[in-house]
Amino acid sequence: MTSQAAIDTSAPAEAGSYADHARAWLTQNLTDRLRTDRAHEPAATLDELIAFEAALHEAGLAGITWPKAYAGHGLTLHEHLEANREIGLAPMPNAVNSIGKELAGPILLAVGNESQKARFLPAILKMQHIWCQGFSEPGAGSDLAALRTKAERTADGWRINGQKIWTSGASKSQRCLLLARTGAPQERHKGLVLFAVPMNAPGIDVREIVSIDGQRSFCEVFFNDVIVDEADMLGAPDEGWAAASRVLSIERATNRMYRAWRFQSELDHLITACRSDRRAFAILQTYARELAQIRVKTEMIKGLVETLVETLLAGEQIGPRGSFPKLYWSEAHQSFARIAWEIVSRFPADANGPLLDLRKRVEGIYLSSRAETIYAGTTEIQLDIIAKRILNLKKTA
Amino acid sequence: MFDDLDPKEFEETAAAVIESCAEAADIADRATLLAEAGLLGVTAPEAVGGLGLPIRFAVPIASAAGAGLLAFPVIEALLLTRALAKTAPEMATAIGAGEVVATIAWSGTAEDGVVGAAPLAAEADRILVFRADGGAVLIAAKAATVVDAAPSLDLEAPDATIRLAGAPDGIALDAATVHALREEAKLLRTAFVMGSAARCLTLAADYAQERSQFGKPLSANQVLRHRLSRDALAIETMRSALHRALAEPAEGPEMARDAAWLTAAQDGPVVAESAIQLFGGMGFTWEVPLHRHLRQIRTQTVHGAAADALDDLGAALLSGTNNTWYGEIANAV
Repeated sequence: MTSQAAIDTSAPAEAGSYADHARAWLTQNLTDRLRTDRAHEPAATLDELIAFEAALHEAGLAGITWPKAYAGHGLTLHEHLEANREIGLAPMPNAVNSIGKELAGPILLAVGNESQKARFLPAILKMQHIWCQGFSEPGAGSDLAALRTKAERTADGWRINGQKIWTSGASKSQRCLLLARTGAPQERHKGLVLFAVPMNAPGIDVREIVSIDGQRSFCEVFFNDVIVDEADMLGAPDEGWAAASRVLSIERATNRMYRAWRFQSELDHLITACRSDRRAFAILQTYARELAQIRVKTEMIKGLVETLVETLLAGEQIGPRGSFPKLYWSEAHQSFARIAWEIVSRFPADANGPLLDLRKRVEGIYLSSRAETIYAGTTEIQLDIIAKRILNLKKTA
Repeated sequence: MFDDLDPKEFEETAAAVIESCAEAADIADRATLLAEAGLLGVTAPEAVGGLGLPIRFAVPIASAAGAGLLAFPVIEALLLTRALAKTAPEMATAIGAGEVVATIAWSGTAEDGVVGAAPLAAEADRILVFRADGGAVLIAAKAATVVDAAPSLDLEAPDATIRLAGAPDGIALDAATVHALREEAKLLRTAFVMGSAARCLTLAADYAQERSQFGKPLSANQVLRHRLSRDALAIETMRSALHRALAEPAEGPEMARDAAWLTAAQDGPVVAESAIQLFGGMGFTWEVPLHRHLRQIRTQTVHGAAADALDDLGAALLSGTNNTWYGEIANAV
């Protein structure tokens, strides 16, 4: 793995120059093993993926908006968006540490104390700490405020007992962004407290759950008398969660900002691979209209995301409007996945080369896309948010 | 430039004027009202009496026209004052001043002898007719015969089909000017549909909270709340797409315009249909104006040839991509 020296971020970037830099770096560093369109290559190992992500940061393509004091690049969402356009267009694997970079990091920046920021933020970008998110529980999914994991004060910190589930990446994480409660479950949103729990603490038991795409990414995590230092509590009880909620509403809208371009790239791959074989192209041609609609939808996602970026850059709150892009992109991608799967399922039995690579990729996309309308607030939760907080629809006369 | 002006102010002015247009006696009166408010020449150069503003200032006018069921070819007037400014400044001035009502026949070419999809052509003074070579000619309405002025789907600005009497004679526009006009039309049409669909959503959301069944407002039912949320998503998607198209993104300004228009053409009617469903039996009556919105939105999809545009995009997509990441894959087609 080659890694380039961090770019000079002191000079204001000209429009488009950050994209040029990103494209050039990715062309150099995204190897065949890392590429998601090369199914015939042996898959990259976790260590390779981690090294790639660390290099991505060094090259100025991760932690773009984070302060320089914490190993960030001190730039704006403009540069973040430019880099993400190029990241999206490339057949690049999803980040191993997206929870660290897109959830824990922004929350730490908002509610963490100086010592916590210095301890955790550079470690996230340098891939020394992979993070997982301990929010959902068996009895608290969409209804997060029903969570029961208990945090009790001890002489020198906290004792945690409970169970988390759907914790993506827990088995490879060093830290868990844990949401627990100090009081009784009936208190709902009151008494919630956030921790940065070290995953090697005694009493933590991680069990992998095999997901429908055969992956072992998400887990259940059991906390049995786990002792956590006071220094690992993020914000005060109540306060930490309130601030985190505000961060979450932004993150829902802006995380994985490359999505529209990634979906466009998947469509590009579908078309290009089908054009390598006359029989496949004949099949593809019967889907011209549906594919045109998908292409239009990718433009819509760009519009929804870019509008929110502008809003944030103008210093305004986006509040519940983050539900619009989440709702839209997840369903748009599922429509693409359905159509793409149907197309590759009709390939002739002797299809090979680019068609096989494509089929493998599309099968993965089709299955994994089923999660997209479930995680980060289900489609139904997003619709509820829009009805209640944007349309202000009353429920009683 | 123009930073001190807010397009929103034009929307408010337009909404008020368009409301008064509903009381006007005829199309000439409406032309006068719109012209007096300076709405028809917003984007035309100052030399022809316009304000010389960018197209984004015409967008709120088109949106207000859609919301307010305006019985006037306002999209056509906005486009023509701008397109004619150079070649026929007097005509552009007259259209902007409301002295001449001009429309556009959106389907067919002069060579066909019959053109159609011309809103309010039966009442207009001038009609722009496209040519097969990509140019166009603005003919006098009396030089053509309206063969079908029976109410079309759109009740506010009924389409007419026109038979041309011989070779069309009038002010000629070259292909480049017509291309620019068509591109701007996508933006104004998107705005018009968005305004109309947003009005449908407002009507439906209000009704859902007023109407009580089973002892609670309709809006207490999750299935209806979610229907309205989806309609709100559709409007928000159009709004942000239009905003993006107006900003002319470097990665593809034409694609951004096409996508905004195609989304408005697909989702606009769905929002109007959804509002009709939510109103129940009332939604199916002539009295409730939702059908007027549905009719005018559907008519816009015809003027903007949305179905053809989707086919064209599909064909263009299948012709290959310029994504260099897949450049190594051989092309066998």
